[in-house]
This record gives sequence, structure tokens and C-alpha cells, in this order.
Amino acid sequence: MRKRMFVGLSIAVGLAIATVLILHPTRARSEDAKASAMQVTVDNFTFAPQTLTVPVNGTVTWVNKDDVPHVIASDDGVFKSKALDTDDKYSYTFSKAGTYAYYCSVHPKMVGKIVVQ
Amino acid sequence: MAKNKLIHPDANGVIEHDHNNDGIDRRGFLKCMAWAGTGALCVVEGGVLKSYALGSQMGSKMHSHKVGGMTFAQISDSHMGFNKPANPDVISTLKAAVDKLNALPNQPEFILHTGDISHLSKPEEFDNVDQILKATNKEIFFVPGEHDVLNDDGAMFRERYAKNSKGAGWYSFDKNGVHFIGLVNVMNLKAGGLGSLGHDQLEWLEDDVKHLKSSTPIVVFAHIPLWTVYPQWGWGTDDSAQALSYLKKFGSVTVLNGHIHQTLQKVEGNVTFHTAFSTAFPQPAPGKAEGPGPMKVPAEQLRSVLGITDVNYVQGRHALAVVDSSLA
Repeated sequence: MRKRMFVGLSIAVGLAIATVLILHPTRARSEDAKASAMQVTVDNFTFAPQTLTVPVNGTVTWVNKDDVPHVIASDDGVFKSKALDTDDKYSYTFSKAGTYAYYCSVHPKMVGKIVVQ
Repeated sequence: MAKNKLIHPDANGVIEHDHNNDGIDRRGFLKCMAWAGTGALCVVEGGVLKSYALGSQMGSKMHSHKVGGMTFAQISDSHMGFNKPANPDVISTLKAAVDKLNALPNQPEFILHTGDISHLSKPEEFDNVDQILKATNKEIFFVPGEHDVLNDDGAMFRERYAKNSKGAGWYSFDKNGVHFIGLVNVMNLKAGGLGSLGHDQLEWLEDDVKHLKSSTPIVVFAHIPLWTVYPQWGWGTDDSAQALSYLKKFGSVTVLNGHIHQTLQKVEGNVTFHTAFSTAFPQPAPGKAEGPGPMKVPAEQLRSVLGITDVNYVQGRHALAVVDSSLA
């Protein structure tokens, strides 16, 4: 009986803590999560993730972690970055829904996609 | 259809050859190329390749044999401005390449630079290279690499290195009866594609060689390989086949490229394709790494995987003798 009570109490406490965490996330944690969710890392001649889905009006940031420069260019001329050296960033805000194929205009075998919905 | 093999000078084991019925002993040629890293001189004599170590007596006889022929050099991929672990000091290695050029017993008459002069298309990077190459005291002909045209569609490159060129920077000139063609295949690259010459340049090329005698030796130089080395890494040119079709009539065509930062050679009929060392950093052999980027080697080995190319033309012979030598 005591054991059952103890277990029941532990579950209740656990649930309470979980509820607190879910209902009151810290502001910084949620913003970090949002930011990294809209980032493309460029490294080793690849875009990671290769396909990224973001909401309308989301801002995607490309970060070049490679040891050579890259240029982010949309297939249809919608956006194009300057030459990004190592650690340089480029951001673009997608105000219209759609699928945006892009590539590195210097190393055109590198391709990626942003899906805005 | 004759099979054509990729030859890497560092390959272990047997070097395979292919047979084309043009009287050239390819087995000798390819064995010769394996010596390239040590600085051997390969000369075509009566269609048969003989190799002479650069220090030997016969070698020096060959060196002085300049009747109706000429020697020029190729350097590539100096990437001035690069400063990552693969080579934190590209200035020193470029200077070492210049020393190597100046020490060649048979001095080249001029030099071809097959692009990626700079790393980030910055004016000071071009200035540095110009300053260092002054010490060669030679005329230098440049074609751009993709690193030279990053911000302005090549306007700065053309202003500095190709004032009398057409379009994106292509041009041709003649030396000692050999016709040289500088091509640009790093502009207007399409998503998922390889290097690209483009319609205008191809039309110009067709016209440029139309009236030349088929006995005129042709040397084509461009940054990205004009043959498909490894498409997964972009090592090839989408429309090079069309360019080569305009050169079919010629008995001797030599294609000199850079971009891949390693020496590779391929012979296909009358065309010899060759890619050069970089003077800045090596890159992995096709497919041997995750990507084609700068490859770090132990510091003491760096100069053995960078180098220059010496090209010798003897009048009346088919193939030009192309010799790579590493910096160390």
C-alpha cells in the first residue's frame, strides 16, 4: 500500500515538473530552437540540411563552415549571396510560399532546397 | 572504340595503356609520366617516347635541342589569400614554384597560368601574385578560375589579365607555329552542372581554328578539366565535347587544365589532356574523400604534392612533351 502510494506520488511529481517545463519554456531556449531550425550549414561542399522547410516570412541563414568560399544562388534568380568565406553568413527572408531550389554558383554540383509553407 | 584510362602518377601497381593506331608507343609514354614527379624529360622521337632524367648528359643534349621548337611552362591554382591548415603560407609555395621555374635548365619562353590565381577575387590577392610572378621575367598568359570571378562576373580579371580577350575572357595567340587557345569555363555555371564554355565561346572557337592547317599544333588551356575526370565533384565541362569536335582535324592537340590540384593525364586519339599541380594546396584523388576540398598532408610532405609543369614542343613531332615536377 505504501509502495503504491510512493509510486503514485512520484508519478504525480514527475508529471507536475513536466507540465511546468512544457507550459513555461524559457524565452532563450525557444529562440535558439527557432534560429537553428532555419539555418543551413555549408561544409564539405554540401548544404546541411539539403532540404529545409520553413514557415512563410521565415529567415534562413546560411553559414559557411567550409575552408573554401561559396556563393548561395537560387536557380531562378530570386536570391544570391556575395562570396562567403569561412564563417561568413547570408540570410534571406522568404515572404512567399513555394519551393526554392538553389545551388553554389561557384561549385554548381552543390544543390539544396528551401520549402516555404 | 578504344578504351581510355585515367592515369595518376602516384598510382601503385601497373600502369595500363591503351592502343591507338597513330604510331605512338603509349606504354613508353605512360612509364615516362610515372617519372614525372622526379623531373624526367620525355621527348617524342620518331613517334616513340624516350625518357631522360633531367640531370643526365642526354637530358642536357635534349635541353639544348631547340631547333624549330620551344618550351613553355604551366602553373596553376595559386589561391592567393588562402590561409587554412592545408597551407597557411601560399606565398612561400608560390615563390618556391617561381624558383623552380627559374632553375629549369631549358628556360620556358613564357608561362600559362590556368586559373584560381586568387582565392577570393580580392585586388590585393591579384597584386601579390603579380608581384611574386615578376621574378620569372616572363610573359604570362592567364585564364580565370572560379575563385577569380566571384563578385563581378570577371570584370577585374579581364581588366588585369585579358584586356584583348573576347566575352568572358577567351583569346588565342601563336608562338613558334603553335596555336594557343585560352578558354573560360567558369562563368554562368548552372545548378547541378559542371564547367561550361557557352554558345558564344564555342562559336568563336569554331571560327578561330577554321582556317588553320591541320598540321598546326594546338594547345588549349582552361581552368576546369575539359574531359570528365569526376562529375560528382564537378570535375568536367558540360560542353567540352563540342569544343573538341572543332579540333578533330588537327594532328596534335594538347589540353592543359588546373582546378583539381593534382596531375592527371589522358590520351585520346590526337588529344593529350593534362591537369597540373596547384602551387597552394593538394586535393584528394577522385572519390577518395568526402569532398573535393583542400587536403591536409603532413607539413614536410606539402611541397611534394605541389608543383609546376614544363612543356616542350619539338617541331615536326606529334605530341608535346609534358613534364610535371613537384616543388620538393
